[in-house]
Amino acid sequence: MAESRGRPGSASQRPTGGDKAVLTGKKQYFRRKKVCRFCVEKIDDINYKDVKMLNAFVAERGKIVPRRISGVCGPCQRRLSDAIKKARNIALLPFAAVI
Amino acid sequence: MRIYEELFIIKPDATEEEIDQIIEQMQGVITTAGGAVDKMEKWGKRRLAYRVEKHREGYYVLIQFTSGPETVKELERRLRVTDAVIKFLTVRIDEALKRLEKKKKHREKRAHRKATAAPAPAQPSVAAQMLGQPEEAR
Repeated sequence: MAESRGRPGSASQRPTGGDKAVLTGKKQYFRRKKVCRFCVEKIDDINYKDVKMLNAFVAERGKIVPRRISGVCGPCQRRLSDAIKKARNIALLPFAAVI
Repeated sequence: MRIYEELFIIKPDATEEEIDQIIEQMQGVITTAGGAVDKMEKWGKRRLAYRVEKHREGYYVLIQFTSGPETVKELERRLRVTDAVIKFLTVRIDEALKRLEKKKKHREKRAHRKATAAPAPAQPSVAAQMLGQPEEAR
């Protein structure tokens, strides 16, 4: 039994998968790893009619939020951008919002 | 036959009767061409995200239907000709629905496998114990 467990306590000392140390210059800080909201919440259908959901991925000015900021995965971002563009076409979302 | 979704905006100053008439007309176009209307939804008056033909509001109507591709051509032509319709969007959704179905099935399968696999790991550990004992005895 003891052999199968290997090094005891080693897993708890290691940082968990969610946190990632990012080394920039001298400062070392932890940044939470971003996860795709659609994959986590298991939303298969990214629909253009769901304006409330799409609004979360559109910036103030009406631009699509890049995935390096929102953390959406590649396939989901592709579907999301398609949905946003369809919604824009039928005046559910603005092409360019005036502030 | 394909499944489509037609979302169109009617001018906000149109009366209820006019709106019903337009919807009826469009449903007629679909059915006479051999299609079938699956669903009709009136979203009601909504604020538009930008001005369309000087209107800030519009009456949204959604029709889901099954038909061949020629029907869509005719339907779009009719919508374009109708003055009260200020915007429309046709989306083919049968492939998306298929994809969703597949994904849903896959999810269920995985959930099922997880449920059945849960008691399984208990057995190998027992087997390991049994194998481990002779080694300790040696």
